[in-house]
Amino acid sequence: MKQIDVKKNILQTNDILAKENKELLDSKGIFTVNLLGSPGAGKTSILEQLIKSMKDNVKLAVIEGDLYTTKDAERIESQGVEVIQVNTGGACHLDALMIKEALNNLELDDMKFLVIENVGNLVCPASYDLSEDIKITVLSITEGNDKPLKYPSMFQKSEVVIVNKMDLMEFTNFSMDEFYRDIKSLRNDIIVFEVSSRTGEGFQQLRDYLLNKIKEKGGVTNA
Amino acid sequence: MHEVSIVNDLMEIIQQNVVSHSLKKVTKVTLKIGTMTSVEEHALRFAFEVVSKDTEVEGAELKIETVEATALCPQCEKTFNITFLNKICPICNAYSNNIVTGYELLIDEMEGE
Ligand SMILES: Nc1nc2c(ncn2[C@@H]2O[C@H](COP(=O)(O)OP(=O)(O)O)[C@@H](O)[C@H]2O)c(=O)[nH]1
Ligand SMILES: [Mg+2]
Ligand SMILES: [Zn+2]
Repeated sequence: MKQIDVKKNILQTNDILAKENKELLDSKGIFTVNLLGSPGAGKTSILEQLIKSMKDNVKLAVIEGDLYTTKDAERIESQGVEVIQVNTGGACHLDALMIKEALNNLELDDMKFLVIENVGNLVCPASYDLSEDIKITVLSITEGNDKPLKYPSMFQKSEVVIVNKMDLMEFTNFSMDEFYRDIKSLRNDIIVFEVSSRTGEGFQQLRDYLLNKIKEKGGVTNA
Repeated sequence: MHEVSIVNDLMEIIQQNVVSHSLKKVTKVTLKIGTMTSVEEHALRFAFEVVSKDTEVEGAELKIETVEATALCPQCEKTFNITFLNKICPICNAYSNNIVTGYELLIDEMEGE
């Protein structure tokens, strides 16, 4: 009988590729966001709002992860922004290899801001780094304020949470107090933005935060 | 759901060792999994059974050791046990986001002949 001392990270292939992606993006000074959340939380709607107010100041691009369709990519493309569609063919998360291939097809020179819309899922993408500077998780009011405790890994790994669909607040029993209590125990330095992609409420703050991050990463903006 | 992709990556590492150590059969695989990975043990075992079928790994015992979650206290600089909802140092009451263990997804060792 042979006993083999393996001692390896099971996801090392992904982690190595993610690190390579990150080195490339760092060398170009591109601030990168991994945008996460349940299906229907409003990830694409938030992106549409952001693009509208940012595309004149910052050269940005989007990688759209989707199980099978190109719908979200078409929504982004119609705003005149470079977008790469990645179909996972049913896989529940994007991985670093998919991002590596997408980066090969993007014009990276002068780009300052890259958003990767992950597959709608609050569990699996948490284990797969892609190359991002930060993870942003979108939670919509209609999903209920118990989501962070049901999917703690995802929220704990996110630097930012966007609470979307604030316009629907009065129709739900979403408790902001409980939400803040839970999210702060998961991670007390988490940054929260309360927005509505329907009315545009809250986007000024979100945009300022992102522009500041883009600047820190070395991107010059005209804003 | 991603338990299947985790097992696929795991099988790749096992297969590399099967080749480099000229094994005919793998009898045991030991993993170390952190409590903050949200990996479901049941789903992982099921995926392992399915993916290892008709390979040298079929029938191998899958041993899963749990790694407790700990954080480093910013004040007393000791590590202490945490949970998702409690990251307060028991000695000095300071909160810590500096997670040291809990996210492990490791293959520790394997046995075969
Ligand atoms: N009322 C309201 N509806 C929204 C808001 N944001 C998104 N939606 C709607 O929610 C649905 C899902 O949005 P989408 O952006 O496709 O979600 P994704 O799956 O996370 O990308 C669409 O019908 C949107 O029109 C919002 O702030 N308020
Ligand atoms: Mg979408
Ligand atoms: Zn302490």
